Amino acid sequence: MANLLWLQGGACSGNTMSFLNAEEPSACDLVTDFGINVLWHPSLGLELGENLRRMLDAIVSGEIAMDIFVFEGTVVNAPNGTGEWNRFCGRPMKDWVADLAKVATFTVAVGDCATWGGIPATAPNPSESEGLQFLKREHGGFLGKDYTSKAGLPVINIPGCPAHPDWITQIVVAVATGRGGDLTLDEFQRPKTFFTSFTQTGCTRNMHFAYKVSATEFGQRKGCLFYDLGCRGPMTHSPCNRILWNRVSSKTRAGMPCLGCTEPEFPFFDLEPGTVFKTQTVMGAPKDMPTGVDKAGYIKLTAAAKAASPAWAEEDLFVV
Amino acid sequence: MSEAAIQTLDISPVGRVEGDLDVRVDVQDGVVTNAWTQAELFRGFEVILRDKDPQAGLVVTPRACGICGASHLTCAAWALDTAWATEVPPNAILARNLGQITESIQSLPRHHYGLFMIDYTHKNYSGSPFYEEAVKRWAPFTGTNYELGVTISGRPVEIYALLGGQWPHSSYMVPGGVMCAPTLTDVTRAWSILEHFRRNWMEPVWYGCSLERYEEIKSYDDFLAWLDERPEHANSDLGLFWRMSHDIGLDKYGAGLGKYVSWGYLPSEERYNKPTIEGRNAAVIMKSGVYDGKSDTHKTMDQVFTREDVKHAWYDEPGGLHPFDRTTNPVQKNTIDPDGKYSWATAVRHAENGRLEAGPLSRQLIAGGSHGESWQHTDPLILDMYRRMGGPSVLLRHFARMHEGAKLYREAERCLREFKLNDPWYIKPTEKDGRGWGATEAIRGALCHWIEVEGGKIKNYQIIAPTTWNVGPRAADEERGPIEEALIGTPIADAHDPVEVGHVCRSYDSCLVCTVHAHDARTGEELARFRTA
Repeated sequence: MANLLWLQGGACSGNTMSFLNAEEPSACDLVTDFGINVLWHPSLGLELGENLRRMLDAIVSGEIAMDIFVFEGTVVNAPNGTGEWNRFCGRPMKDWVADLAKVATFTVAVGDCATWGGIPATAPNPSESEGLQFLKREHGGFLGKDYTSKAGLPVINIPGCPAHPDWITQIVVAVATGRGGDLTLDEFQRPKTFFTSFTQTGCTRNMHFAYKVSATEFGQRKGCLFYDLGCRGPMTHSPCNRILWNRVSSKTRAGMPCLGCTEPEFPFFDLEPGTVFKTQTVMGAPKDMPTGVDKAGYIKLTAAAKAASPAWAEEDLFVV
Repeated sequence: MSEAAIQTLDISPVGRVEGDLDVRVDVQDGVVTNAWTQAELFRGFEVILRDKDPQAGLVVTPRACGICGASHLTCAAWALDTAWATEVPPNAILARNLGQITESIQSLPRHHYGLFMIDYTHKNYSGSPFYEEAVKRWAPFTGTNYELGVTISGRPVEIYALLGGQWPHSSYMVPGGVMCAPTLTDVTRAWSILEHFRRNWMEPVWYGCSLERYEEIKSYDDFLAWLDERPEHANSDLGLFWRMSHDIGLDKYGAGLGKYVSWGYLPSEERYNKPTIEGRNAAVIMKSGVYDGKSDTHKTMDQVFTREDVKHAWYDEPGGLHPFDRTTNPVQKNTIDPDGKYSWATAVRHAENGRLEAGPLSRQLIAGGSHGESWQHTDPLILDMYRRMGGPSVLLRHFARMHEGAKLYREAERCLREFKLNDPWYIKPTEKDGRGWGATEAIRGALCHWIEVEGGKIKNYQIIAPTTWNVGPRAADEERGPIEEALIGTPIADAHDPVEVGHVCRSYDSCLVCTVHAHDARTGEELARFRTA
């Protein structure tokens, strides 16, 4: 049995909605099969008002043990560091987060907002939002870079906008079954098991990438989305094409360029004019190269790819 | 009889309304006599969008609300289509409609079990003859139908993922069409998913009959006859909901303003290929409208009538403006003052009709009108019930939502039938400056976006969500917001556990993550209107 509390700050509830899509285990399986006791959740909890306040006070005082503290959404500091623009249960949410993080055995940030600040922290960041332990790429965030939960781990970051339900449930099951100690985290405190491979790993358009066949506009039945449409699959760490979305697909498979939403910089280029769904280039070469490839290497690679490209690669591949 | 003391309850949060809602109610003799709904979170999406890429709304606005992201995406895409004067091929209109419908169908079981029916298992109702059965099927996590419904709610959005790669938070709808080009196997799989959803939940559990039988219900009398026809009907989730709601009095309160709005939704794939703001009303399958229950009259809705008051909202700016004209300025100190400002949500109103309720009940009452185009969808059932049952209630509001499910399902089937797989899905548009407006009906009500593009970037982006309509504070003329009004007269059995307030709020399926309006007081820049808590 593990007690879980899930709260939302500057959130859209997207991670909750994603979580509810889970199967094996489903949200209900977590409760019935894995003994997860959901103390409260904004969409699922029973208590309201005064009764919730009493429960939160009991958690903060240690009277109720909280094994897993899940936070979704940004920590809102506006205006002027007071957090009054996001009040919850009678006080700024950020004050609850500060108190609850101290007593949590494990603290889990779910989604980009809770990990790095996400969309709300996009310039000019009107709500003075930050993630639990990062603001974009900068270590620290609301809890500070030295924060560790009672289990001795920093905040476990499960990024993505939203996070995939399996990324969430597998971490919760790991903790509930005593395997929390097996979690290994990367430099951004993401579980390595999910965030070492690339979004491109397993993409159905990999042959088009290899032969430099571009999808030049939307709605086509062939082509890689990297060369013209701004896809960030080759430089984004996620298992989106290994663990499919909603069990059936992924954005790149469906024809939508990867936006890089598991990385701290999302949304990239702060959505400045000319940057949305368009590959940014410098002297004809992509500004952001596939991870680890330099410009000279890229030019050689694509020249060879073009030269080797078979005729079929220019024909429709994903046909009716 | 001496006058009983007025007891003021501050309920923070109400919970299970998708996002956090704070409500203040005055209770006298066990009945709510006054109410204030407070939106308490501000994120500033409109400020973020200012000066950004014209298409930034396609990335940002689905993330305003993870619950109705497909609806936001729909609005964002159509807003740009009208601003850029694009051409949208029939396949793309169908693919957008299908995505939006699957999100709405997903929400039916999720709201029904996860948010709404749980309250029927509350201890207050342990004396009801239906209580034992309610607990058996609707108790959170362990209830038989709760578990089935919450799990199967993930299926319809698999269709969304076939089109857009994932749900929530895809951006596959773009000006000029959609990003995808589905294949035959995508269509056949989508059919299978729909069938699975129908055969395993919608028919056996929810309606207790075939869709075909359910669709024969055209009047209140038809419905009552259906209820008595077979035990499977009376014992379905719909039948039990209906009977227990009467038993615990949910047909007696939660009426609200009695005035309703819908933008209309699902553009016809043959009639909105060259989208304009003005041409939309005559191009949508489900017609727009305003219904006034008091005079029992219908008329078409137009975005030009939209106004936003800020007398009781945390903004320091002129009230009564159209969204294109707003210059939002948030107050820096958002102190709650029930006589003054007390919410981040603005008070949205119709320039002629004042405050209006949004949601499935509104859509179905408007579907009963004879206004609009002769080819548009009409449906007399809910309007007949409204008239015969003496107006709205918590019961009728939720019933309207359950009723609409069958129609949404059929529209999803129609999209799958009408796709012409070898025809275009996208026509590349020319980017230009201009004003646009995109609207739809999210499952919980009227949603729309206004955009102004100038110099190749966003000059102004404005959103009015269904919850902005429903959860807004009092208007400048002190007319209450829809939920505030609906709370008046609500009986409270236990002031320490006012589940009845929850019934009313959750019957609106408020989605507070998308209601707050705000601006940066220091810089004067417009922030946004989004969440409340």
